[in-house]
Amino acid sequence: MSKVQGIVRTDSWLETKALARSAGLPMIALAAVLLSQPAVSAPAKGSTPAAAPAVSRDYLEVPMPPGFRVEISELEGPVFADEKGRTLYSWPARLLRNGFAGEQKGTPRCYDEVLKETAGLMSPYPPGVLLPELDKRPSCTDLWPPVLAPQGAEKVGKWSIIERKDGTKQWAYDEEPLYTSVLDRQPGDVLGGTSRRHRGDSPVIRVPVSPPPLVPPGFAVTTTVNGRLLTTDRNYSVYTPEDPSACDAACLQRWKPVLAPQTAKPHGDWTMVTPSPGVRQWAFRNQPLYTREGETQLWSLEGSDEPGWRNVYVQTVRPRPASFTIQDTLAGQVLADSRGMTIYTYVCGDDSLHQLSCEHPMDTQVYRLAVCGAGSVEQCLRNWPYVKAEPGAKSDSRLWSVMSIDPMTGHIAPPGQSGAISVWAYRDRPVYTYIGDLQPGDVNGAGTGEWRGQRNGLKAFWVRDDYFGGTL
Amino acid sequence: MCNVSRSFRPGLSAALVTTALLVGAGASAGDATSAPPPPPGGTVGYALTDLFWSVYQTPNGKEECPKGFNDGPREQYAKLFPGGRKVNVVESQLKLEGQTWWPSPGPDLSEFHAVQGKYSYGLNLDGKVGPNDFTHPDGTPGIDNGVYRAVGCIIGFRGPDGVEVIFQNKAITSDTFNRTIIELNGVDSWEKDDDVTVTIFRGRDRLLTDATGNKVLPGGTQRIDTRWGKKLIQQVKGRIEGGVLTTEPTRQMIIPWQNLSVPSFQLIRDMRLVLKVSPTHAQGLLAGYADIDTWYRQLIRNDSTHHLSNGQISGISLYKALRRFADAYPDPKTGENTAISTALDAKFTQVFIQHPDGDAAKAELISSLESQQAARVATAQPRQQRQ
Repeated sequence: MSKVQGIVRTDSWLETKALARSAGLPMIALAAVLLSQPAVSAPAKGSTPAAAPAVSRDYLEVPMPPGFRVEISELEGPVFADEKGRTLYSWPARLLRNGFAGEQKGTPRCYDEVLKETAGLMSPYPPGVLLPELDKRPSCTDLWPPVLAPQGAEKVGKWSIIERKDGTKQWAYDEEPLYTSVLDRQPGDVLGGTSRRHRGDSPVIRVPVSPPPLVPPGFAVTTTVNGRLLTTDRNYSVYTPEDPSACDAACLQRWKPVLAPQTAKPHGDWTMVTPSPGVRQWAFRNQPLYTREGETQLWSLEGSDEPGWRNVYVQTVRPRPASFTIQDTLAGQVLADSRGMTIYTYVCGDDSLHQLSCEHPMDTQVYRLAVCGAGSVEQCLRNWPYVKAEPGAKSDSRLWSVMSIDPMTGHIAPPGQSGAISVWAYRDRPVYTYIGDLQPGDVNGAGTGEWRGQRNGLKAFWVRDDYFGGTL
Repeated sequence: MCNVSRSFRPGLSAALVTTALLVGAGASAGDATSAPPPPPGGTVGYALTDLFWSVYQTPNGKEECPKGFNDGPREQYAKLFPGGRKVNVVESQLKLEGQTWWPSPGPDLSEFHAVQGKYSYGLNLDGKVGPNDFTHPDGTPGIDNGVYRAVGCIIGFRGPDGVEVIFQNKAITSDTFNRTIIELNGVDSWEKDDDVTVTIFRGRDRLLTDATGNKVLPGGTQRIDTRWGKKLIQQVKGRIEGGVLTTEPTRQMIIPWQNLSVPSFQLIRDMRLVLKVSPTHAQGLLAGYADIDTWYRQLIRNDSTHHLSNGQISGISLYKALRRFADAYPDPKTGENTAISTALDAKFTQVFIQHPDGDAAKAELISSLESQQAARVATAQPRQQRQ
């Protein structure tokens, strides 16, 4: 078993490890958690994440083959990585409108063949249509190199070795074949895919592979745009009061303590408090946890509107660049530029069996040009302008960067190129505003493009929605 | 007049609403003896449960669509790119999607069938009787309903099983983003009251239903959305005549609209309500002039080409039709009309409307709106002239 980076074992480690063993989890131990920072919580109005992001190492230490490790990424938290720190991804199969794409367990489908035709997985357009820019089209493995296993490699825990059709051996985790992404440039980058929830008509995306979160039974952690949100295992948000002693009888009518079973023991950041004799309540980083009575939305941030109450995050993203603002809309809050105009991200996956991305500036731009301006570069620049970065702009968050774009091609501009513009990018993809938004709070461009903006289209950058379960 | 099929929207028809209005107080006198007592405190609230573009239809469209129904994206694609011809994504799928999102004038992809019939539901919005107006099935002339002329021969907009009819209505009860609620204040009689105040809000709660989950029951509670829905709150004066509430036109109404998890809205200018009201339900029409770009964007943002295909709805063709039949709010620069007359069938069920901060906060909110309403009347500018 390899050692997880940065983990120092404590007494509580031994206790939780024993617990894990007693729970019948062979080869799994609970990682000790040293961080003693208070629970990270979103501000009351659900806008910008807390100023000091947590670098959370709250994950279960699982056995790993030699050469692999865990990296802490800003959005996804802990992810498995290869010996160079490159994030590992899987491509789980999912049913689209007319069939499955992705990989079934144990069966790699990403090879070096350059596919030339659409698969007709979506509707109403038929299969067999020629894909664009075939002379430049990459193969699946050009973008997603398989993680090959050396001779003599052996199965360890959930890590196994599967055989590709060319006879080479590939690592798999939980039987899902593993790949790296050519977009990731440094350890902790997760630019190839995401574990954020999405709707069924979006492309079958690649998902970073992570160790399980270190939470007691009854809790779950969900990756959101603001950070890794702590919820119950039924996905109801948990909250904590700013003043842990402030929840009196009247308060308890609206806030329900999350009770710990009598058999539960403290470990790491997880402890118990006793608000009343015989009542054991879970606390995370010394802050007691509650759910909100009458909550109907999953992953809700509504409770943070209550003065003195906060959602709980295991880890938050770093502050967004200072020039961005948060605006109220009819459905919640969006990220906006300095004028208050809503920010949009572009999402695209093609209709090939490989479901290749068409959303990055290195990808073909014909899909984006179709929905932003009926194929016209000039119309796109007018209808969906890039969000230009001010000179010298920088970001503390690795999720945000300034990118040099050739506006006439939509591709990344080489240094010194005439006419190139500096634009803001989120997860290495440029962001946009929309000509149809006339005032702050307008979100008139949301859902633009194929499949309501989920497949070849533009999505508003929601930081809070009270109606759609965080899937906008 | 042919046998008219409206079985998909049971209950009071728009014709009955209009008839009730036309008959007026004389007809209501006999009903007054059996009318229920006015609501407690003169206040009654309702939640919207059904809302869809009013479509007058005869069996198989024989009367209003003599040339048949319109092609949708699938049919148009098959004609443009017949089997066997190898095409690429850019010249086929992406070209059509581009035209859908950025529609332009010019020749249509296929012949468009607009409504040819004489009759339509709706209201005489401009007080005139013109050559492009419909006649109400009850004989009332001058009915303005350009949206019906555009969508009436598109299968997806026709009941009972048109894809838009089903899904857009379903979303009203299954989601809360689009929870339109109204409250009537100052109701002294269910039959005749010359001064009623109608306040429009958005609610935050699910609807009270029976055990099947399909039938909305009166008696539920709705909290006013004061967090995100402030801009939706407005007030309008109305009167009840013969059991029918008729409001004055509001300058505009934003109707939060949603389907398939995309929040959108409709913008209806000069919006007015004509509703048969009772202690448990209200039903009738919501009419006015729909902003065309908003109307169209709502449709294509809430439904993908796949969904539109299931109703044979070509966005490319429909947008051109909406522009052709636009009849109000000319653009000051181009003179081109930007809005189109329309009527929507609306059904409401009684709810108790509460302010999240209590009765005093609600009274304060209502009072502030009344003050704004008074100020607005005092400073009202002439409305933009309609064509």
